[in-house]
Amino acid sequence: MISNHIGLDYALNPGWMAPYVAGLSVGKARARRCQSCAATSFPPLRVCTCGCLEGNWTDLPGTAQILFRTTGLDGDFGLVHFDGATTKTTLRLQAIPATETRGIIAASGDNLPVLCLTALTGERDG
Amino acid sequence: MKVRDVTVTGAALTPFNRRKDGTGFRDWALSAFEMALERSGLERSDIDALYVASESDFFHLQLNPASVLATEFGLTGVAATRCEGGGASGQVAVHTAARAIQAGAAKHVAVIGVDPSASSLSGDAIRTLYGFSFDAWTDGMTGLTSTALYALSFQAFAAEHGITEADLATVTLQNRSNACHNPGAHLPRRDSPQDIADSPAIASPYRRLHCSPLSDGAAAIILSRTDATPRRRAGAARIAGMGTATDHMHLGARADPGFFTAKQIAMQRACAEAGATPAEIGLAELYDAYAGTQLQSIAALGLSEDVSRDLNNGAFAPTGRCAINLSGGLMGQGAPVGATGVGQTATCALLLEGRYHPSLQPDTLPRYALADTHGGVCTLSAVTILERAEKAA
Ligand SMILES: [Zn+2]
Repeated sequence: MISNHIGLDYALNPGWMAPYVAGLSVGKARARRCQSCAATSFPPLRVCTCGCLEGNWTDLPGTAQILFRTTGLDGDFGLVHFDGATTKTTLRLQAIPATETRGIIAASGDNLPVLCLTALTGERDG
Repeated sequence: MKVRDVTVTGAALTPFNRRKDGTGFRDWALSAFEMALERSGLERSDIDALYVASESDFFHLQLNPASVLATEFGLTGVAATRCEGGGASGQVAVHTAARAIQAGAAKHVAVIGVDPSASSLSGDAIRTLYGFSFDAWTDGMTGLTSTALYALSFQAFAAEHGITEADLATVTLQNRSNACHNPGAHLPRRDSPQDIADSPAIASPYRRLHCSPLSDGAAAIILSRTDATPRRRAGAARIAGMGTATDHMHLGARADPGFFTAKQIAMQRACAEAGATPAEIGLAELYDAYAGTQLQSIAALGLSEDVSRDLNNGAFAPTGRCAINLSGGLMGQGAPVGATGVGQTATCALLLEGRYHPSLQPDTLPRYALADTHGGVCTLSAVTILERAEKAA
């Protein structure tokens, strides 16, 4: 048996996605709005589904409707629809009761682009 | 440009399982290659090029594996190419190799698929790596696992097509039951629906028994220009059509997150090339990463207009109109990623020649068989239609 341990510390530049990644760290759903058809993708698509390459960054309200959710070994995940977005989003659901159908984006708080939806609180609701 | 016809002159698979015998991926690859070469009636010196499918350097800790295997096989001097397309890597290698023959760049080529997905790293490490086979920045780093993404896509499909938990159980039991007749299968099991319901929840609705295992193993085929095929291999199957297509990487950017659009397009392309229709496919090895994935694939490939109805009336059983995953599929036979697509093509070729495992070999051979592989949640689809030779057994 050959045993080998490798630890790898990556430093990846997000490039054009930098505004999206920066948004996640402070809990902003920063989406891409197409200059041609106004479709709004989140996570952002560099090229719109209409084929247009030009877009602008826009902050969505951050609230989302949960369409499907899966629960298991690694936690809860969902396919959700962010208010104001044209596309849907897959993400982690953090402490959202099974009976809840809506949530709000959580700040990732570190240098990882971790997309998370958490429970709406009275303070941030609406 | 004249397009040359391509024949599968040799095909072989090692057992798929978790190796505990001290052998490594180089041994399995060599074993599959030598078996396929022997069946082809060709010599090492006849091989012009080597195509190697391996999903990730992380699994075997070997960059540039195609060059390493060329040396291991005693093929130094041949052209060597590594092909990668996530879970579709094996089928991508088959296509790349066949296209080289069609274009006249090679006469005989070896295609090897190999990965040590079971024994080289812990299951948790492999699952983390698989998370990066979707969009690593928007999905992988969020901790979204392969099973969770597949489960979400399946839920969208099930809602649209009225698929039930009982349908998932039928697929699971059928594939593993087929695997009981395959001596090289990883999970030959006869479970009950209750066993499935009692297995641990991985990502609802998927439980452990709905999932394909991580396996070690290799598969190989030798492809030849049909007019250069050894005379004694006149009964070998030919490649009739190939198709590849991609879908949006983000599940949420797809118009229908439950439908495998890339697979539909790849199948249309393969059928157009073969001059065949989905209704003419009599055998299929499908990419059943999860039980529901098989049902999503059946729908996208056009093999049924009512998947649940046809599943339950036995259309996809071993004696059905289109027997699916006689090998056991990924769920029963196992899934050493790079070997999967090559193994599916090898299985179809052996079936169409009448040389598969005797208790799985159909009495009547159809004209066409289908090998279907994809990477991501069907982000990259690659399908191959094989055609029986007129002189097949
Ligand atoms: Zn647009």
